Parts: sequence; C-alpha cells; structure tokens
Amino acid sequence: MENLLYIALFAPLVSSLFAALFAQSQKNLLVGIVASLLIGVSFVASATLLLELAQNPKAIHANLMDWIVVGDMDVRFGFTVDQVTAVMMTVVTLVSTVVHIYSNYYMEHDRSYNRFFSYLSAFVFSMMVLVMSDNFLGLFIGWEGVGVCSWLLVGFWYHKKDETRDVNPSISPSWAANEAFIMNRIADLGLLVGIFMIYWNLGTLRYEEVFAHLDQLSHGLMVAIGIALFIGAMGKSAQFPLHTWLADAMEGPTPVSALIHAATMVTAGVYLVIRANPLYSTIPEVGYGIAVLGTFVAIFAASMALVNRDLKRVIAYSTLSQLGYMFAAAGLGAYWVALFHLAAHAFFKALLFLGAGNVMHAMHDELDMFKMGGLKKEMGKTFLYMGLASLALSGIYPLAGFFSKDTILEVAFNEHTYGIWFVLWLTAGMTAFYSFRQVFLVFLGDERYKKYGIHPHEAYNWVFIALAPLAILAVIFGFWKEEFMHFATQMLPVYEMSEHTHHMVWILIIVTTAIAVSGILLAYFKYAKGLKRDPKVENSFAYRLLSNQYYIPILYENAVSKPYADLSNIAWQAIDMKVVDATVDGIAKTIEKGGDVSRQAQDGNLSSYLKWLTAGLILVTLIAVASVAIK
Amino acid sequence: MTLTLTHYLVLSAILFAIGIAGVVRRKNLLMLFFATEIMLNAANIAFAAISAYIGDLSGQLFALFIIAIAASEVAVGLGLLILIYKKYGTLDLDKFTVMKG
Amino acid sequence: MSNILTVLIFFPLVAGLFGFMVNQKSIRAYGIAVAAAEFLLSLWLWMSFDTSAAGMQFVEKLPLIPEFGINYYIGVDGISLFIVIMSTLMTLIGIVALSIKENLKNMIITLLFLEVTMVGVFASLDVILFYLFWEFSLVPMLYIIGAWGGPKKLYAAVKFFIYTFAGSLVMLIGILAFAYLYHSQTGTWSFSLTDWYALLLPFDAQTWLFWAFFLGFAIKVPMFPFHTWLPYAHGQAPTVGSVILAAVLLKMGTYGFVRFSLPLFPDASVAYIVPVAIISLIMVVYTAMVAYAQKDIKQVIAYSSISHMGVIVLGTFAMNVEGIAGSVFLMLSHGIVSGALFLLVGVIYDRKHTKMMDQFGGLAYSMPTYATIFGIMTMAAVGLPLTIGFVGEYLSLAGFFKVSPVLTVIAGTSIILGAVYMLTVLKKTFFGPITHEENKHLPDLDGKELWALVPLVAIVVWLGVYPKPVLGPIDNSTKALVQLMHEKAQTDLAKQTISVSKNSAKEAK
Repeated sequence: MENLLYIALFAPLVSSLFAALFAQSQKNLLVGIVASLLIGVSFVASATLLLELAQNPKAIHANLMDWIVVGDMDVRFGFTVDQVTAVMMTVVTLVSTVVHIYSNYYMEHDRSYNRFFSYLSAFVFSMMVLVMSDNFLGLFIGWEGVGVCSWLLVGFWYHKKDETRDVNPSISPSWAANEAFIMNRIADLGLLVGIFMIYWNLGTLRYEEVFAHLDQLSHGLMVAIGIALFIGAMGKSAQFPLHTWLADAMEGPTPVSALIHAATMVTAGVYLVIRANPLYSTIPEVGYGIAVLGTFVAIFAASMALVNRDLKRVIAYSTLSQLGYMFAAAGLGAYWVALFHLAAHAFFKALLFLGAGNVMHAMHDELDMFKMGGLKKEMGKTFLYMGLASLALSGIYPLAGFFSKDTILEVAFNEHTYGIWFVLWLTAGMTAFYSFRQVFLVFLGDERYKKYGIHPHEAYNWVFIALAPLAILAVIFGFWKEEFMHFATQMLPVYEMSEHTHHMVWILIIVTTAIAVSGILLAYFKYAKGLKRDPKVENSFAYRLLSNQYYIPILYENAVSKPYADLSNIAWQAIDMKVVDATVDGIAKTIEKGGDVSRQAQDGNLSSYLKWLTAGLILVTLIAVASVAIK
Repeated sequence: MTLTLTHYLVLSAILFAIGIAGVVRRKNLLMLFFATEIMLNAANIAFAAISAYIGDLSGQLFALFIIAIAASEVAVGLGLLILIYKKYGTLDLDKFTVMKG
Repeated sequence: MSNILTVLIFFPLVAGLFGFMVNQKSIRAYGIAVAAAEFLLSLWLWMSFDTSAAGMQFVEKLPLIPEFGINYYIGVDGISLFIVIMSTLMTLIGIVALSIKENLKNMIITLLFLEVTMVGVFASLDVILFYLFWEFSLVPMLYIIGAWGGPKKLYAAVKFFIYTFAGSLVMLIGILAFAYLYHSQTGTWSFSLTDWYALLLPFDAQTWLFWAFFLGFAIKVPMFPFHTWLPYAHGQAPTVGSVILAAVLLKMGTYGFVRFSLPLFPDASVAYIVPVAIISLIMVVYTAMVAYAQKDIKQVIAYSSISHMGVIVLGTFAMNVEGIAGSVFLMLSHGIVSGALFLLVGVIYDRKHTKMMDQFGGLAYSMPTYATIFGIMTMAAVGLPLTIGFVGEYLSLAGFFKVSPVLTVIAGTSIILGAVYMLTVLKKTFFGPITHEENKHLPDLDGKELWALVPLVAIVVWLGVYPKPVLGPIDNSTKALVQLMHEKAQTDLAKQTISVSKNSAKEAK
C-alpha cells in the first residue's frame, strides 16, 4: 500500500522533472505523452487506494524522512491516505490526467510546449503533497507549491505587455500572476500564524495528534486558530475580500484555468476546512461565519457573472460562486456534503473550461462572447459537452450538480438558517441564468463572428474521447451520493437531517429546480435568438457596477497598491536618504567641520604655540592647586 | 633675618615667571632662548634649595644634570639659530609659519 | 590532524603571500585552486566534526600574552562550523565567478586575505583574537570597494570603513570593561570566551555591556537606523565584493549576538527583547518598502538583505531553541541566496553595464537559463518551502511567536512584502515584451557563471528538502547555548523567557 502511495505522489514529480529536461528545446511530443502517462499512473494508483479504502477503511500512513527537527519541533515528510485524502487524490489526478491529455491539443503550437508540461506536472505534485501530508507544515509545502505553480502557469505567456484595464481587465499575464501570488501570500500568513499557535500550544503539527488533543485548548484559542486557518483558506479559495486574483488568473492558458483555478487548487481552502473538521465542529460560531461568508461570495460572484462578456471570466466567477456553496456547507457542519460538491464541481467545471478552451481555439483566442454566436453548427460536440456541464452546474436532475447542490440547500434549510438558504436558492437561479446565457451566446443565435473574419473549426475527435470521463462523471456522479456519504463519513462527521427537513425535501427540490429551470428559460428567451443589446441597460449603474466587478480591483489599486508604492518612495527618498543617511553624513560633516575650525590653532607660529603651552601649564597648575585645596 | 627655604622658592618662582613672560611675549628666537635658560635656572635654584633643606643630595645632583643639559642645548640651539639666520636673514618667530596644520 | 583549524585559518594567508609570485596569466587558476583546497579542507572539518556533541571541537589554545590571559584560542561548534564552511564556499564561488580584468592578481590575493579574517572571526574563542580578526576583515573589503568599485567608490568605501569601525570601537570598550569586571571578580585576567561564559554579572553591568556590544554588532548587521552604509557599499562594490559582504560579513553581526550577547548577558538580552524586536520589525517592514521603491536591481537586493537580517535578529532574540537555531540556519540560507542574487545581478551588469530595471524587460526570452536560476533564487529569497529560505525563516518566526504573537504577525509580513518587491523585480526584468533591441541578443549564462551558480542552486534545493545534516549540529549546540543561558539567568523574567527544550542537550564532554 505504501508503494502505491509513493507512486501516486511521485509520478507527477518525475513527470515534471522529465519535462524540465526538455524545457529549453523544441516541442517534443514525447514530453506530452510521457507526462500524461505518468499522471495517469498517479491516477490509477490513487483510484486503487480509494477502492482499497472502500474495502478496508483503515488509513494508510507513510513516513518518508525527517524534515525540520529542531528543539521540540519534529516535522517529518509524513503522508497519510484516509477517506478524505483518497477522494481528493482521485479527483485531482483524474482531472489532471484529462487536462494533461487535453493540453497536448491546446498547446500543440505553443513555443514552450515542454515547459508547460513541466509546470503542470509540478502543480499536480504540489497538490498531492497538499492533500496527502499528515501534518500542517506538509500541507503548507503543498500550499505554497501550488501557489508557485499557479504563478508560473498564470504568467506562462510572460511576453505579453501590460495593458490598461479597459483593454484587458487582468492587465497582463505576469501582472495577474504576481497579483495571485501576493494575495495568496497575505492569506498564507494567516495559515502560518495558525500553525504557530497549534505548535506552541500542542507541541505537534500532525493532524492526528492535534485533533486528539484539542480539548487541551481554551475556547478562545480554538477560535483564534480556526480564524487563522480560515484566513489561509480564504486566499487559496479566493473568498471575499481576497477574490480578485481568481478572475485575473484567467490570463493563464485554459487547461491551467480548468485544472488549477476551477477543479483543484482553489478547492484547497475547502479541503483545509474539511480536514480541520474536529476543530471547526467545536467552534460552531466560526463555522457559521464561514457559512455566511461563503453564502455572500456565492451570490456576489454570481452577480458579476450575470453581465460579463468574457467567456472565461464568467466561468471563473461561477467557480467562485460554487466555492461559496462549498464553504457554506462546510461551515454549517456538513463536511461530507462540501466534499461531495467539491468533487462533482471539479468534474463539470473542468469540462466546462476545457470546452471553453475549444471555443477559444476555434475563435483564435477571442474571448468576447458578444463576438461569437451560432457556433453549434461548426462545433456540435463542444456544444454538447458544454451544455452538459452547464446543466450539471445549474443543478438539473439527474446530473451531478443537482445532487450536490441540492444537498447543500437542504443543509441550509435543516440548520434553520433560512437566510443562507434563501440566498443560495436565489444564487441557484442566477447560476442557471448565466451558465445558459453563456451557452446560448456562444452556440446559438446569429453568427456574429463572421464579421470579424474568423473561421471556427472543431477540435480533434480524440480530444472529445479524452474529455469523455469528465462528461460521464458530470452526468452520473450524483447517483453515487449514498455510497459517497458512507465512504466519506467513515472519516468525517455524519450529518443527520431532521424529521422536518425530510418532510420538506420534495418541496425543496421542486422549488430549487423551478428557479433553475426558470433561469435557463430566461436565458433562452433573452439570448437564444441572437444578441439584442440594449444601451439603456448597459449604461445603467447596476450593469456598470457588476461589469466592473463592483469597482473592487480599482479600489484595491487606489487604496492599497498605489499608496504602498507612494509610501515606499517616501520611505526611501524622504526618510532613508534625507533623514537617516543625512544624519550619519551630518555627524561625519560636523566632525570634519570641527577639525577645520580647530585647525586654525595650528598656525605654524612658534610663539603662539608657546602661548598655548603656557596657558595649558597654568591651567594644569590651577587644577592641581584646586584639587589640593578641595581635599 | 635668615634666609629660609621660602625665600629661595620665591626667588625661583619669580625667575620662572620672568622666564614664562619672556617665552610668551618675545618674538625673537634668541630672546626665547634666554627666557628658557632663565626658567631652567629657576628650577635649578629650587632643586638646590630643597635639596639642602631636606638634606638629600640628589636634588643638587639633578641641578648639575640640568646645567649640563642646558649647556649642550645651548650649543646645539645656537648652532641651529645661526643656520636659521643665515637662511632667512631674521630671527623673528612670526616669519617662520611654514608648518601649518 | 589536530590543528586543522589553524591550517584552515592561515592557509589562505600563506597561499596569498605566495600568490604575489604567481604570474598574471595563471593567477586565476591559482586562486581557484587555493580557494577550492580551502573549501575542501573546511568540508573535511565537517566530516571529522562529531555531530552529536554540542561543545567546542578542534580546540587549540596557545598563550599569547599570558599576563593578561590573552590566548590564541580557537574552536568551532555546530553554530560556527557551518558559517565557516559557508565563508570558504562563498569565497570559492566568488573567485570562480570573477569577471574583473584589471588587477586580477591583487583582487584574488585580497580575497584570500579576506578569507583568513572571516574564518578567523568565526573560529576565535578568545575575545581579543576575535576582535583582531573582526577589525582586520575591514581592510580587504575597504580595498575591494575602493579599488574596483563604481563611480562613488571612495565615498562608499570610507563610509563603510569608518561606520563599522566606529561601532567596533564601542564594542572594544565593552570588551575591556568586561575583562576588567572579570578581573575584579575572579582576580585573574582572561579573555577566553569560555571563561567569560561562566561569569555572572549584576544586571546594571549587563545592561551597559549589552548595549556596547549591541552597537558594534548592530552596525555590522546592519540594523536600522545604522544601515545606510550598506546600500552605498553594495551599490559601489564589484560583484564579488557584494557577494562576500552580503553572504559573510553581515553574518558577523548576527553571529556576535548569538555568540556574545545572549550567553554573556542573558538577563539584559531578555530585558531588552522589546526594543530590539521593534528595531527588527522596522528593518523587516520599512526596508522591504524601501526595497520596493528602488530602481536599481542591486539596491533592491541590498535592502532586501537588511529586511532578512531583521528576521534573523528576531529569531535570535526568541530565546528558545527553535528561534535561535532557525536564525543561525537563516544566516546560512541568506548567505547562499543573497550571494547568488548578487552574482546574478553581476551577470547582467557584465553584459550591459547597467543595473537599472527599466533597461531590461523580457529577459526570460533571451536568457532562459539565467531567468530560471534567478527565479529559483527569488523563490528561495521569499521563503518558499522546500527551498533553503523557508526553513530558517519559518523557525525564526515560529520561535519568536512564543515571545510575542503580535510582533511576529507584523514580522510575518516579510513573506508578503518580500514577495512584493522580488516579484516586481522579476516582472520588470524578465517578463513583458523586450523593449530594448539590444536585449534580444544578450548571451545566456556562460560556463564560468554556470559553474558558480549551479552549485548554489543545488544547495538551495538540497538544504530546503533535507536540512538535517546542517540543522542537527546547529540544534545540538543551540540547545547547549540555551541551557547555559537558562542556568545563568538571574532575573525571574529571564528564567521564564529563556525556554530550554524538553529533549535537552547532550553534554559536550
């Protein structure tokens, strides 16, 4: 078993290093194939471990070697595979495998094809470290590792130049990459502080030991740790107010968006909350706060998706919104439901993104949906896949999203947090609307792209075969809900619905489905027949507010980045140079001036020297006399 | 009236003061020489007087040393003076301000 | 070989003197050979080092001025061993990467002499000997900056010399006062550090001496507000000068805190944690901001050094094993990483004779290997896990967290602000379109530069993934140090703050 664990963990690393060997040479198809195969190996190993755990529910531990052993701190490279980890591993490696294969198509003409695979596999390795580590510092390795890989991959097309926000709201890939890294670092500080608190109060960082000794902590301390860890989660999972980087991260190549910024990395925050469930279960008030924030993000992000014209940004906002759902579930204590939605979301959202990648290729990297339309004719298969994924995302029976999202709504209802329920319910309608607004704008209606002289073409057939696993899972994953619950609750707390909820469940399902369907219908009537733009709406305050992301990026720039730059300049020019350094030079100059003045006494005239000498003599004599007299 | 130690010491002090005044006031190198000689001899008187007063000969011994040193100093010093006079044509101290700091 | 340490100290001196006789053509090979031999010798030192013992090893003691208890007394423990090895390594790397043409012979001999003083400082156990090496180290660096520096080299060199010299004079007074107190308490003269460790001083005396030593060390580190010599020195120094300065010379200050301030004045050190920590925080945050405002890449790295040194000082004053061991490790990692970064800046300076960021852009396209190594070193500088930079930074901050969570959170902003200025450098230098036509054909790293940089990359990854071979001995010696401080502490506050680790140190003897 341990060997399988190591294979699952290190196959991506080998893949990354192998691809790195070719990083500076011409495109080599072998690199893509070997990398995809190795990630596939990792998937097989992960899936085997998952099945093994389903048979024999006993977590597997492995200890690789010592890492930081100082004083009383003893941190090892320790790995564990339990139910939660196994689910995460399987989801991550499955999506990764598909994305790797897909990248052979998407990046086929890119100059840095080999380098891309190196980064992508490095990301998978980091993600595996993140989910498999058995201690908080190991998690932190993966946590930072995925951050760096995300930085590398978002900024993959580093040669593009900075634009103004009107031309490109993300400014440039390298700008977006830096923004993502720095925002994540802000949150990482929170995580690090949480780790420090755990270490100094419990003397260990291993999950098992930490969660076994939680009762040694005071309530206040647990709240502090819970908040600190959640701050870390907020950065990785792009929760408000650290959310702006995710939409800008769409500057990366689309497979990256599918893998990192939809299916895996951004769910790391949810994973952390799920992993720390013994902690959050004892501090329900923090959990409630998490749920409220998640709910807010769900509707907040969905609202921005309503009006956006950028193909990828719409999906990015929907990711943000779905992450909000997951946090709502986890915060309310339904950890397995959050994990279930995480997995389901990974499948259909990756599918949606990769479909969008096909569209982008067909449209020669045009992202404005207002310039598309009627693509169904040319790209039937992509239409099918993206339509399926959108249905799943909207939560239509019998697709995966129906089961996972509906359960979250039931949880919200069951907890008597009707406010949360209502907002999430509303968001479900908005989700359906913007998803299908996108599908209809791209695939139905008039063929607006012809005006721009674009000749779309469908992707290769093998690409659709490669995407098939995701499509199938997006359809059938929901039927495994019962099995999933049994499997996951061996590790996670069981969540019981009350009798009252059981009675209401059919009404809830009908109400939810109703709003989802009406969202789709609304989108159909508005956009399926072609795009009719209404300048009055587009110039309204609400529309502009939403399409400018509530002006938050501009606010951050004017309230944080620019003042920081100005303050830095002041610190350098005005303080460091004019005060600190000038003081030092001032002291030196004073001494020099003093020398200049006293030099006058050295006039070379013997008789004045003799006068000084005599004066000194008399002074010394007087002092001597005085000291005798005083005694 | 007998001559006590005080009288000698007063004489020594007066001579010394005269010497100092000469050192401070005079600008001529030769006069400075005289002034230093006066000061040395003021010290000699004090040495000899105290030596006699406490009955220890080493004071007078010192005085003899000083006389010897003063003599050699005069020999060297006067030689230098003559050289300086030959070179600059004056012994006025204010003219020799070459070594400035 | 019992006197390996003496050989290690004086071999470069002898070799340097012989260097005068080597002709111009072969001086480079000669220099590399000597530095490599010295480095191998220091590795041998490590191999023969008993990693399980905490005390001083390879101790040699010869009387110099027995009347005053001044001895030729040297030895290394886990704390100093690796700094010695880093000194020899960085000298070797510096000589390998030398790109200056004029007066190469003088440069190499100067570097070898500098190596003598560096190894001497870290190996000295006699305070007078320590002071001698400490002051001697200024002279070669003065010469390096003054003779091979940029346009304002004389200003920078003199500022560097006088500033640090003034600080060490105050320290000298502290040394003499300590020796006097030692004499008045025990009746004998001694300048041996091990004797001094045993002396218990009243709190008032500790305070005065603590600040006297502090001033000497603080200027060397350099701590705010005594840091302004550093940007000038780095700005004007040739590449190799900056490498040695950042990698080794600055560490003398923080090493001094660990070796002198903490064990000699435990009560005063604990009592003044807060002011020292506040100065460190100013270093961390304020110089990170100043670094962000710079337009010259080398100045960014110079200021970032100050910022990192702030974290080191903070870790040192954590008063527990985690923090102190972490700060010692961070000294090593900062030495390697900042040395590498200065080398990297030197690479483009050699090619374009400018270090201004706006002269570059898009270099990742024309110099991919260079960009990769720069990226790795950047990540190490911002403390990415599995690089050498993380271990020390994490431990230092973790250690200080026990003393003050709030201050640690402020210091922790270094992981954010560090990313801000370093990523800005990367973006402006390597990313974006190539704006200057001549940058399209800049040659990538050549053999010489690769020979210098690749070993550093290897170390950065190796010690990031598996720091144990280095961290183990440091841990042992630090435990003994903390134990000693705890035993010596007289005030209740100090007893409480200095926390001995539960698995206490193995005894040295």
